[in-house]
Amino acid sequence: MFLRRFGVTGTIFTFFFVAQEALVSQLTFPAGGFSIFLILTLLWAAISTPEVAAAVGFGAGILLDLSPSTSGPLGHWTLILVLMCYAIAFLSYGDENMRGNPLSLILIVTLAQVIVLVSYLITGFLLGNIATSFAQTLITVIGSGFWTLVVTPLMLPAVIWLHDQAFDSRMRI
Amino acid sequence: MRNGGENRSRLLLVILIVSALFLITLDLRGVNVIDGLRSGTQTALSPFQRAGNVVLTPVKNFVNDITHLGRTRNQIEDLRRQNQKLREQLISRKNQDGEIEQLKSILDLAGTASFKIVSAKVIAQGSSLAFTRTITIDAGSGNGIKKNMTVISGNGLVGVVKEVFANSSIVMLATDPAFKVGVRIAGSQQIGILAGLGSSSANLQLLDNQTTIKVGDILLARGSVNSQPFVPGVPVGRVTSVSNAAGAVTQGATVRYFANFGSLGVVSVVVKAPKADPRDALAPVKPVPTPIPTVTVFVTPTPSTSASSN
Repeated sequence: MFLRRFGVTGTIFTFFFVAQEALVSQLTFPAGGFSIFLILTLLWAAISTPEVAAAVGFGAGILLDLSPSTSGPLGHWTLILVLMCYAIAFLSYGDENMRGNPLSLILIVTLAQVIVLVSYLITGFLLGNIATSFAQTLITVIGSGFWTLVVTPLMLPAVIWLHDQAFDSRMRI
Repeated sequence: MRNGGENRSRLLLVILIVSALFLITLDLRGVNVIDGLRSGTQTALSPFQRAGNVVLTPVKNFVNDITHLGRTRNQIEDLRRQNQKLREQLISRKNQDGEIEQLKSILDLAGTASFKIVSAKVIAQGSSLAFTRTITIDAGSGNGIKKNMTVISGNGLVGVVKEVFANSSIVMLATDPAFKVGVRIAGSQQIGILAGLGSSSANLQLLDNQTTIKVGDILLARGSVNSQPFVPGVPVGRVTSVSNAAGAVTQGATVRYFANFGSLGVVSVVVKAPKADPRDALAPVKPVPTPIPTVTVFVTPTPSTSASSN
């Protein structure tokens, strides 16, 4: 059972990772853009248990760290996503008002996306990565939040269906 | 149970955080395995990225065209205008190249005979409805041209100047039915009169019925008094057929002009002939056939054995 869930989840995340690197990254969006892989990770964490969310955050973080477009050290994204995914799942676990309401899920994911980016920048600065200008950074973070707010409602039904297939559950939203 | 579950999740969280910190430490210490993992990921991803680029390029171009519609349209118009201009330059250049070739051949011919020439472009052809064959050139009295001067091309005789204006002149072509020129056969002193027939061929009448003429003979201008209207030695044409009518007083022949009257672009007017007659110096050299190598085999008969025994 565990292996099946691990296999299915791993396949889904790998597919979204490849789609992100091969397709979404080719497109240019004004004010930053969005990452379907990050949205998937945060959404998955929001509808999972804290243990599963932490594990998913770890695996997704490893994939993001291995991405050729990442400039930070290996483990950077891993650390941030482990913490953020666990936090999302811990705060929303058992609260059907949050998990059962699509609007709250979208807002959680958007807010988490912004916090993840800011955390990445701060930890990156502490680890010695050179950051761009403050204005550019601000535009990128706000733009990313905006695009996440636009794209998450489009991905929500598909992610929930995939989660149900992986965990043999049926989530009502 | 709940506490056990929470402890388990916290333990898992700690393990994962420590693992992440361990990976960061390894990377910052420059462990080679990390770089190998990243390059391996890029190698695995590159075919998908190439495929994605192929799939998304039309979409990106479409979006780009939509967002830059006005700019793209202006660019297209600019490129169209540039293309048109370049095409016109190319055509003009081709014309100029052709004229340069013609001028070179004229200069070769004139240089060999030491003619002093004035070169000019053909700016008009005579009307095909008229019965005369003429061209108009863009050189006139201002360039030192006078009536009854010989006009040549790189291949030979073209005609004679009939009318002169300040900046242009009218040339009667050798194809004109009223055109006549005294010619001689290259390599001999046999002379005749060549008359235009309205085409690229002309009619030759030899003055001496004892003259022998054959197909392929080259005709040169005999020259006039004071080299007007014809300077001596200018190549005129080649005999293409000989008529030997019985009872005819003189011998006749058909001659094909050397000059190509269908593509006259640049011609030259001989304003001063050389002091000495160039004789046959300007006659085109006949092509020499390449000799076919032959193999000669010498056979020495061997003496027979019966003859040797006897």
